[in-house]
Amino acid sequence: MVTAISDNMFTDEAINDPYTYYGSLREEDPVHWNELYQLWVITRHDDLVWLTRHNELFSSAVFKNDPRPPYPTIYDSDLGLYEFVREYQSRQFIQHDRPAHLDMRKVVHGYFTPRSMEEWRPMVKDVIKDLLDEAEERGSMDVMRDFATPLPLLIIAEMMGVPKQDRPYIREVAEKLLYVGRGEPWRMQNFSEGIREMIEYVTPLVEKRIVDPEDDFISVLARGEREGVFSRDQVISNSSLLLLAGHETTINLLCNGILSFIRNPDQYDLLRSDIEGMYVKANEECLRHDSSVKSITRIASEDVELRERVIKKDERIRWFISSANRDPRKFENPDDFDITRWPNPHVAFGAGIHHCLGATLVRVEGQEAFKAFAERFESLHLDTTEDQLEYQPSITFRSLKSLPITWN
Amino acid sequence: MAQERKLKITVDHDVCVGNAMCETFATKTFALNEDRQSEAVNPQGDPLAQVLEAADNCPVSAITVEDAETGERLFP
Repeated sequence: MVTAISDNMFTDEAINDPYTYYGSLREEDPVHWNELYQLWVITRHDDLVWLTRHNELFSSAVFKNDPRPPYPTIYDSDLGLYEFVREYQSRQFIQHDRPAHLDMRKVVHGYFTPRSMEEWRPMVKDVIKDLLDEAEERGSMDVMRDFATPLPLLIIAEMMGVPKQDRPYIREVAEKLLYVGRGEPWRMQNFSEGIREMIEYVTPLVEKRIVDPEDDFISVLARGEREGVFSRDQVISNSSLLLLAGHETTINLLCNGILSFIRNPDQYDLLRSDIEGMYVKANEECLRHDSSVKSITRIASEDVELRERVIKKDERIRWFISSANRDPRKFENPDDFDITRWPNPHVAFGAGIHHCLGATLVRVEGQEAFKAFAERFESLHLDTTEDQLEYQPSITFRSLKSLPITWN
Repeated sequence: MAQERKLKITVDHDVCVGNAMCETFATKTFALNEDRQSEAVNPQGDPLAQVLEAADNCPVSAITVEDAETGERLFP
């Protein structure tokens, strides 16, 4: 079926409201060939679940296996930088397939079990209390700057064993790494600069842990090197990955979730009426309704038939969490923010063998954050107008630029 | 060595995401079905310690382990 929907995913319409744009694709052309980017776009919930659970058909080693230049187009003069980016990204464990991926995942997986993440809950609660105390004293809050960024950044820094005073620098570098999902033709300059800075920052920390392991997560990766699973470069690349992934997506969950509660005061009242009974479900609905990660890429390992289309070996795929989580075939009234929804089989963390490693940590942080807001504030209000809310122009992340609020 | 104690193992398919770690930790006990969700195909397949490790490593806490005879909850 030929669709009249534009293939440009970076228009203001598609960035500000991905639900209408990808929702139209989901209803009209769920396995869509995007001619502009030479890319298959997958938007239905059942297709996404099927695809993520058939990892043998769809390779995660996208940077390594895709010989084409990136989409949208970058400057020709930056193709050398892109080669550097490819090599670095290819070292991340998430950019591997089985059997290597399983060996790598086993090194890191045990650190993130639901039970071990519970041990971080008291610290998460303490940090939230401090941040909200400070906000109350000031009488105003940009949720992005004053709450959603410092919380996960502090936790991941503690977890990784990174000195406290370095957190602002890590965020500064992380913001350059977020250019991975952007569309500007010059984006490789920022992205590769972020990579260089991250390597430079992480290398001495890794070298120290190799010789003198501690109980932090960099030491877990360093153990992987001693066991012969990771190379030194891979330990560095994965340390950087965890520093970034360990906070960026949580920032988005917290901002997008608070915004959903502001727009749906009845749901906020409902949470406040039974916080203990509702906070876990509320967090799941925040994960579903306005997911932090919009899309993930794969590359076909063989010819695959899907809904009467043939995805050929080596063709590129991008599957959209944003549209799958609003699929009416899976969720009743999918556009409604409904914190009573249960079970909530959203795919905010993907599925299959690549299911988000940090999901267990994100859940602890999100649950405690929404709970703390509900306990403390009777009602939440935007301290700006709806039309002032802006999103980063990324097809990977659903990131607000700021979220100023007031409360009663 | 196979498990002597009779176990009742359940996997909640409302939450199982097919991460397949259970299959890695207790290879004879768990296997993915057609939908790529985990099933306890042979509750006596592995030693108890391995089954409990598999359950503990489930990222979405989908696995429950009980003593099939006494009903005693072994995990979580």
